[in-house]
Amino acid sequence: MRAPKPTDHFDVVVVGAGPAGSAAAIVAARAGLNVLLIERGEYPGAKNVSGAAFYGSAMLNKLIPGWWEQAPVERYICRRDVILISPTTAVSLDFRSASPDYAAPPYNAFTILRPKFDRWFAAQAEAAGAFLLTSTVVDGVIKERGKVVGVKVRRDDGEIRADLVIACDGANSFLAQQAGLQRRLETHELSLGVKEVLGLEEAAIRERFNLSGNEGMVLEYVGAITDKARGGAFLYTNRNSLSLGVIAQVSSLVETGKRPYELLELFKAHPAVAPLLRGAKLREYSAHLIPESGWEMMPKLVASGMLVAGDAAGFCLATGLYIEGINYAMQSGMAAGEAAIEAHRVRDFTRHTLERYTELLWPYNVFTDFRAYRHAPHFVNGERLQNLYPEMAAASFERLFRVDGNAKQKILPLYLKAMRQSGAKPRHLIADLLQAARSYLW
Amino acid sequence: MVMTTHEEKMRTVRFKVAEEPHIVLDPEKCRTCAAKACVCVCPANLFVPLDDGSVLFNYEQCFECGTCFLVCSKEGALRWTYPPGGFGVTFRES
Amino acid sequence: MRLAVCLSLVPDPATIDVDPLTGEIDADRTLYIMDPADAAALELALRLRGEGDTVIALTVGPAAAEPVLREALAAGADGALRLWDESRSATKPAVTSLLLATALRNEGLPDLVFCGWRSLARGSGKIPALLGEYLDWPVVTDIARLEIQAARVHFHRRLARGDRSEGEVTMPAVLAIAADGVRLRYASLPQLMQACRTAIPMRDLPDLGLSPLDLSFPASTVHAVTPPRPRPRTIFIPDSSLSPHERIGQILSAGAAPKSNTVLEGSPDEVADAIIAFLQARGFLEQPA
Repeated sequence: MRAPKPTDHFDVVVVGAGPAGSAAAIVAARAGLNVLLIERGEYPGAKNVSGAAFYGSAMLNKLIPGWWEQAPVERYICRRDVILISPTTAVSLDFRSASPDYAAPPYNAFTILRPKFDRWFAAQAEAAGAFLLTSTVVDGVIKERGKVVGVKVRRDDGEIRADLVIACDGANSFLAQQAGLQRRLETHELSLGVKEVLGLEEAAIRERFNLSGNEGMVLEYVGAITDKARGGAFLYTNRNSLSLGVIAQVSSLVETGKRPYELLELFKAHPAVAPLLRGAKLREYSAHLIPESGWEMMPKLVASGMLVAGDAAGFCLATGLYIEGINYAMQSGMAAGEAAIEAHRVRDFTRHTLERYTELLWPYNVFTDFRAYRHAPHFVNGERLQNLYPEMAAASFERLFRVDGNAKQKILPLYLKAMRQSGAKPRHLIADLLQAARSYLW
Repeated sequence: MVMTTHEEKMRTVRFKVAEEPHIVLDPEKCRTCAAKACVCVCPANLFVPLDDGSVLFNYEQCFECGTCFLVCSKEGALRWTYPPGGFGVTFRES
Repeated sequence: MRLAVCLSLVPDPATIDVDPLTGEIDADRTLYIMDPADAAALELALRLRGEGDTVIALTVGPAAAEPVLREALAAGADGALRLWDESRSATKPAVTSLLLATALRNEGLPDLVFCGWRSLARGSGKIPALLGEYLDWPVVTDIARLEIQAARVHFHRRLARGDRSEGEVTMPAVLAIAADGVRLRYASLPQLMQACRTAIPMRDLPDLGLSPLDLSFPASTVHAVTPPRPRPRTIFIPDSSLSPHERIGQILSAGAAPKSNTVLEGSPDEVADAIIAFLQARGFLEQPA
C-alpha cells in the first residue's frame, strides 16, 4: 500500500468495496489519483451476497490479466440448465459446452463466493495504490453550494473531503437517495434473495452434476418453485459446496405472505432438486436485496461531485435468461473510474464534465444491454410466465411421455388440450409470445 | 442436514452485535398499521407482532438487507440505518 | 506513568465450526478478534492514562496478528510493538511471556503491565503469572475495577461465587483484568486512518537478544489420564408387589411419592375444623394447650 498523502482530502472517495467500488478504485488509483475506498464490513465482502456466478471473466481479464489464476474462484461454468417446474415435474433445457470459449482461458464464467472474491478484488485496489478503510459506514454526503464535496462517516471527526464521490453502496443506496439522484424504490422493483451454502464433497459434486476436474454448472429454475410468489431459484456448484437460493419479488412476498426461508425449504424439497442435495450440510444462510428492474429503476447517475455505480445504480440484469450483476457492477465501476481520471485531468468535477460517465457506459456495454433487455424484467415477472406456462409445459410433457395403453396423441392436439385444461387463452398466449419476442429477440 | 429449521439456518451466521439498535420501530405507528408486511418478509424472522398491535423487533441478528424498510408503508414507523462500521452481520461464504 | 498492554488475536468462538465427522476445525470459516479480556484491559489502561502518560500495545504473533495492534492504535494507544520468532508456527504461554518480559526490559520497563485475565484461546491465565515471575513484580488477577492513588493501585477483584475483594499494590505490577462488559472505545476517523498508515515495528529473537535455546522449554508430556471415578448412580427400583400399572407410574416419577389430595366436604364449620386439625397434625399450627 502506497502511503496516502497526509491530508484527508482525496481525489476520489469510493463508498463500498464490492465489485463496482473496487473496480473504480483500481482504475482511478492506477492513474495516480489519491483514492480512498470505504467499506462498512469488517472486510470487503462481509456484507455481500450473490449466487454467485460471475460472467465477466473476459472483461476482468483486461483489467487484471490472468485474474483467475490468483483470485479465489470456485469452478468455471461449462454447463447451464434452465428448468421449468411444476410441483411434481421438471422440464429442463441443458446446455453444455466444451468449446474453448467456455472451457479454456479466459473462460466464459466462474462460480465464486463473494466474501472471498471481494476481499481479493479490494486487495487489488490496495495494490494499485488505493487506501482501503474497512469497518467504517458512510452516513451521508457533504454538500456545499449544490455540489457534493465529501462524505460523513459514523465516527468521531468523521468528515472526509474529496473532489469526487463514487457511490457503490449497494441495492439500498442511501447516498444516491440523499443526493437526490434516486427516488424511494417500490416493492415490485426489488427482489429478495435468500441463499444457503451447503457443503458437499468434491467427488459427489462431480458425480452428481456430471462434471470433471474444475468444471462447474449453474441451474436456474422457474415455476412452482416459488409457490405463488413471483421469482425463481438457482443452484450453483462451487469447489466443495453448493450455493442455492430463491429469489422472489418483494411485492409478491407481501401479497402472498410467504416467508422467504419457507420458499427455500420448498425448493430444496422439490423432487427434481432434493436428490442433488443429498448428504449436503448447511454452512451458511444469507439474504440480500436485488435491484431487478433494470432500465426502469435506474437513478440519475451523475451529480456535481458524485457518480453512482453497481447495484446502487440498479445495474443488475435479471431477464430470466440472464441474471448478471457482478460484471455490470465492475464495468460501471471501471467507467466511473475512467470518468474520474478525465475529470481530474481538467480539474473540473461539475455535472457537465462528469456526464462523460454516462457516455462511457455505452462502450462498456452497460447501457447497451440494459436498454436491449428493458422489457424483460416486466415480462419475466408476469403472472402467466411465472406459474401458468411452467405448469403447462410440465403437464404436456407428462402426457407426451406417458404410456397408458391409450392411443398416442400427436403433439399439437396434446398441447392444445393442456392449454385448455390450464385455462390459458390463445389471445394471452399470442400476446405473451409477442412480448417475449420483443423482450429477447429484437 | 439438508432440510433445516429457521433457527438452524440462523446459527450458521456470524453477528457482531452493536450496543445500539440500528432499526427502531415507532410502536404507536405500528399499532395503526394493518398490513405489518415487515413480519412476513424478514428473512431473519426478526419482527414479532405483539398482542397490543405493536411489533417487537430484535436487531441483533439482522442481515441489513433493507426489505423491511422497503415494505413499510407507514411513513416514519421504521427508522433504518446500517449498524456502525465493523458491526452487524459478517458473511463468510455467501 | 507508562502503561503496557499485552494483546492477543484469538479465534472468535462464534466462528469455530467443528466438522462433526472428522472433528477438525474448519479454518476457512474462522474469524479472528482481539481477545475480549485484552480489549477490556486496553480500555481500562486508556481510561487511566492522564496527561503525559503513555499506553503501549504489545502482541506476540506472526504478521497476521498485526490487526490487533492496529485496532489498539486506532483506539488510542500511543505505540505498538509486535514480537515474534519467525521459526515457529505457534506459541505457548511460556514463550509468549518470556518474549513480552524481554521486550519490556529492552524498551524500558513500564510502571504497569495490563493483561486480559483468561483469554478465549487457552484461558489458562498463565501469562500474567509468568510475566510477574520474569519481571519479579507482584501480580493481581481478576481485577474488575482499579484506580491509582499516590503511586499505588487500588483494585477491586471479582472472585468465584460472587465474592469480592479490595486491595492495593505498589507499582510496578502486573494487572490481569477481568472486566466483563467493558467495551473498547470506538475509534475516531483520524485515529483509525492513522492506525492503518502506521508501520508496526517488529522484534525477533536477535533484536531481543534471545537465542532459540532460551525458548526451548521442556515440553510437558502426558503419560496417563485418570478421570475421576464416576459415582455410582442409585437407580430407583419399583415395589414388586404393585401392579404393572402402578410400577410404571413409580418408575416414571422416579420414586417420588405422588401428591395426595383430600377433598373435604361438609358445612363450613366442619370443614374449617378439619383444616385446622390437618395443619395441627402436620405441625403448621401449634396444638392447643
